[in-house]
Parts: sequence; structure tokens; C-alpha cells
Amino acid sequence: MASITINNVWKYYGDTPAVKDLNLVCHDGEFVSILGPSGCGKSSTLRMLAGLEHISAGEVLFDETKVNDLPPKDRNLAMVFENYALYPHKTVYQNMANSLVIQKVDKATIDEKVKHAAELLELTPLLNRKPLELSGGQKQRTAIGRAIVREPALFLFDEPIAHLDAKLRAHMRSELKIMQRKLGTTMIYVTHDQLEALSMADRIAVMRDGVLQQMGTPKEIYNNPTNHWVAGFIGEPAMNFLDCNLGTVSGNTALEHSAFSIPLTSEQSQNLLGSGAEQSVTLGIRPDDVSISTNPSEKHSIEGEVLVTELLGGDMLVEAQIEGSRVTVKTDPSYEADMGDQCYLAFDSARWHLFDINTGSTLF
Amino acid sequence: MTDAFVSAKAVFRDGGLVIDEPAAMRNKPLANRFYFYLMMPAIIVLACITLYPFFWLIFMSLHKVDMGAAGDTWNNFKNWTRLGSDRKFVQGWWLLLKYSSLCMLFEVSLGIMLALILNRSKWEKLLVTVFLMPMMMAPVIAGLVWYYLFNSTFGWYHWLMQSLGILGDKSILGDKATAMWGIVIVDVWQWTPLIILIVLAGLKRVPRDQLEANMVDGAGEIRNFFSITLPNLYPFLLIAVLLRFMDNFRFIDAILVLTGGGPANSTKILPTYLFDVSFTFFKLGRGAAIALTLLVVTIILGMILVKLFENPSTTKSSEA
Repeated sequence: MASITINNVWKYYGDTPAVKDLNLVCHDGEFVSILGPSGCGKSSTLRMLAGLEHISAGEVLFDETKVNDLPPKDRNLAMVFENYALYPHKTVYQNMANSLVIQKVDKATIDEKVKHAAELLELTPLLNRKPLELSGGQKQRTAIGRAIVREPALFLFDEPIAHLDAKLRAHMRSELKIMQRKLGTTMIYVTHDQLEALSMADRIAVMRDGVLQQMGTPKEIYNNPTNHWVAGFIGEPAMNFLDCNLGTVSGNTALEHSAFSIPLTSEQSQNLLGSGAEQSVTLGIRPDDVSISTNPSEKHSIEGEVLVTELLGGDMLVEAQIEGSRVTVKTDPSYEADMGDQCYLAFDSARWHLFDINTGSTLF
Repeated sequence: MTDAFVSAKAVFRDGGLVIDEPAAMRNKPLANRFYFYLMMPAIIVLACITLYPFFWLIFMSLHKVDMGAAGDTWNNFKNWTRLGSDRKFVQGWWLLLKYSSLCMLFEVSLGIMLALILNRSKWEKLLVTVFLMPMMMAPVIAGLVWYYLFNSTFGWYHWLMQSLGILGDKSILGDKATAMWGIVIVDVWQWTPLIILIVLAGLKRVPRDQLEANMVDGAGEIRNFFSITLPNLYPFLLIAVLLRFMDNFRFIDAILVLTGGGPANSTKILPTYLFDVSFTFFKLGRGAAIALTLLVVTIILGMILVKLFENPSTTKSSEA
């Protein structure tokens, strides 16, 4: 087992920085997911940890040991690649046994470990097949088997389930999480799929353009995003953003938009005072925190028009046009609406966020 | 065609709706015949230039061929039965196998080594062009160039070998012990570039993630080469070996120029012997029989290599 410390790490490809001044700690036995869109530097980070990529600046520590210049073979880690990277000329058994054969472990031990892992991953009947004869899910399990047979101090997973079909992906999410808990091995899991990160990781590191945006538990990231970008990236459907002005309504600070004017809670006004916010701010509110009604009421006071509805099975999304903006609402499928219908929205002011309109940083 | 579509019926099976392909759609005689007609010109041309000579070769091998007025006479398989007691024929085969094995050994190992170096070189493109030059040369010219390089009075290469003390007073091509090496060197010099080219193409296709996975698994450079690079190069090497084997069985231009099969028949590999029999002594019937043995062995070797090539799990890399 190992804890991972990344101190001020930079990665340059030529003159282009891919990872900028990254600081990250992954505790022993923790499941950390690095999340970000493609090109954000998450894979470069993982490859630096694996020793497949030179570290341009900064240091990487496994426990207390600096590993910057250690070749991959001396780092005692196992990696699962996006395309599985199975050896096509070897059987499933040989693929899984590879690292042990290289370490010259005796045959009986190899056999025992491979068979144990095969059982865990339900690969036993496939041990004599070659990768070409396997389905995507079987290839992926073989790749994971190859990693766990090794009993490494650290697992590195690079989008291992991105190429599976949706149903299998959902299944593998829980399987991977169970497996990691069972083995108790530190795991760093790179993905661009926020659902994977939110559902599996103990903590998530959100990256963008080589910069770490936020590090925290899935709940923290979802409920308290540090900036406009993280707030928009996490959550499906994405958060609604509305540009508002700060005004005063009967002595209280209020959010003013062409379609509404809602006072802030006193706590929120207090937070705002300290932040030195300007007149203009961005309001962020998740579709889950907007409610919709066909009739106006004191609560449902923001008037709008239904643009489109999308049924997602258990939920329904309504896209509504309010004056000057569009708002996505997540509601119950029983809500009856057609294109062009009048509707009335209400925002849950306890759960909304304000962002600085210029810097994008969270005001509260 | 419409009938075929109409006859398709949807049925419930395996827990879902299934449509069976109607039998009528599977055999399309009309379409097949059309394609056949399209291929006819090519088939006719092929028949004239390959099939006719092939059958003529068989015919010749069974006759005493006289190019004069007497015509061809049946000779009771004499062309064939005499092969067994023909010392030069047996020796020709032995020398051919020795010659092509030596060529193959050096060309493939040198080719792989040079390709590995080139693949990592900054000046890859330039170097590949330079390395390809020998291959661009007509074999006869290559033979002549080396004939002079090997010359025992003014040959540069001969001088070099002598200065290094490797050769002594002997001439490379003039000595029974070294003449075979002489022709092997020329073949290796001229054809290693082909192997380099093919292997280089193969190296570009070796999946990087497999190499990296193996490194993470604990492999060093050398192990990585043998357990990942080489198996992934396998189909490319098969192509290279197949091409070179067939060439070795056919190309005798350089050898004829260099040694003509001498000294004392020490480089008289079977194709050179065949040339002697057919075009020096004009025993066309015997020549035909020898040529047929060459053809059969080439075909068998080719089939073995193609068979190895078709084995999917060894030749195709895994794709996601």
C-alpha cells in the first residue's frame, strides 16, 4: 500500500505545458479519481505516476520516497490502459501471469494467483483464449486481472471502461468499486465521465487545461463547486447559469434579473459582503433545484414558456424560456406540458450558487 | 428479388423479434455470373502467360526435347529418374538451401537491428533513402560492382579484408571455402534494405500501449523487444521472409556475374545449375524437370508461410 504525493508537478510537451503546477495527495488505500475533459492533463498526470512520461518539474512521492527517476518496473504499480493493451499473442492466463513471470515467481504461486484472480473476475473458463477471441468486457476484465495478480501498492486506471457499452459500464462501475474496497489498494482512476467519478471515487480531482480546479469528495464537488467551470462541468443535466445584478429590495440584497427579483437570505448577503463582489454576478442553479408549475403562485412566480420536454424514463427535463434566458428544469414525468405552454418556475434559494462574473470564482 | 424480400418473416425467438434471411437472397447466380464475365479478360491473359507455359513445362519434363527437326520424343520419365543420380542436382539443392538460409539469417537479423536503430533516429527519412540505394540497383550491376570490389588485385574490399588479416593471400571469389560467403555478402548488401523497409513499417504498428503495459509489468528494454515488439513484427517478418525466399530461388543474375557457379561448383546453387542445363547444354527436358522441383518446393514453402500468416491470434493485434 502506498500514499501518493504530487508536489508542484509540471509537464511540458515541447513548449506546451500539459500539466501546470499540480499538487495532489492521495492517501493510503484511497480511491481518487482525476476528472476532466480531454486534453486537461489527466492522462499525462497518470502516465507521470506510472513512469511512462518524464516529469518536467516538481516531484512525485510514493510514501516518503521520491520516484521521479524510477523506471516503471521499479514503482510497484499496475496500470489498466484505455484500450486494455492486452498482449494479442498470449492467452488470458499468460497475459495475467506476465508480471509474475518477469519477476521470476515460481510456477505454483503464479498458477494460484492467476486462478484466484480469474475466479474473482469470472474469467476461469476463458483462461486459454487469446484476446482476439474475447468480447470488450472480457478484455477489460483480463486487463484488470493482469493488474490485480501483481498485488501492487498502487493501481492506475486510465479510462478503463470508456469503451464498454452503457449497460456493462454501469455494472463495471460498481464492480470496480467493490473490488477496490476489498483489496484496499490505493487507486488513481482517470476519467472524463463525471458519472464514473461521482459514483466511484472517495475523492475527485477536477482538472482543466492542466490546472487542478478542485479536489474533494463527490458531495463537496457537487454541492460546493469552487468555480463557475467546475459547477458547469459536474452534474447532468448541467447547471443553469443566469447573469444577474445585485440590487436592494426593501433593505435586503436581492438578485435582479429581467425575469425575476429574489432577495438573498441574510446569511448569503453576509457572505457576499466579505467577498467584495461587484454589481454583476452569475447565478448558478441545478435543474434539480428548480421547480415548475402550470399555475402561478407565490412560490412559482417566474413566468416562462416551455421550449421542449425530454422524457428520461424516471425523470423529465423541461427546457423553459424565461425573459432573457433559458432554464432547464428536472421534474416529474407526470408534468403535462407542450411546446409553447405557459409555465411558472421557482428557484430553491438555499441551494443556488453565485459566481463572480469576471473570475468565475464561487461567491457562495 | 422482390419475392425474396416479401418472403422474409419476422418471428419471436430468443426473447426478441428475429428476421431470418431468406434463402433466395443468399445465392445470387445472376450477379455471380456477371462478375465472372468481368474477370474473363484477366483470366484469359493469365492463362496465356502463366498456365500455358506451366503445362508446356510439364510436357517438356516428360520428353526428350529437340529444338531441331526431330521434335520432342517421349522418354519414359528419364528426365526425372536421372535426377536422383545427378550429383550436381542434389548438391545444387544443398547449396541453395545453405545459400538462402545464410542470406535469410543475416538479412533478417541485420534488417531488424538497423530498423530498430533507424526507428529511433532523428534522421530516419534521410537514412532510409540512403539505405535503400543498393536495392535500387539492378542485380547484375550489383554483381559487377562487387565483382570488382572482391577482385584480388585491385578490389577495395579484398584489400580491406587482407589488411585486417582475415583473408590471407586468397581471393574471396576464387576460393572454394569463401566463394559462398562472397555471394551471400552481395545478397545481404543488396536486400537487407528491403527487410529494413518492411520491419520499419512493422515497428510503426507495434502498439505503444502494449510496450508500456509490459514496462509497467516490470519488463526492461530487451524483454520488451522479445515479448512485445518481435511478436508484433511477426506478420511483417513473414512477408519479408516469403519474398526473400522466393527471390533467392529465382535471382541468379548476381551469382552468374560473380562466380558463374564456381569455383569447382562451390556456388552452383540449383537455379544456376538449371541455367547451365537448360541454356548452356540445352537439355531442355531435364531443365524442365529441375525447374518443376524448384517450383513445387517454392509453392510448398510459400504455402507454409501463408498458413503461418493466416493464424489470426498470432498475427493480428488486439483492437478495442
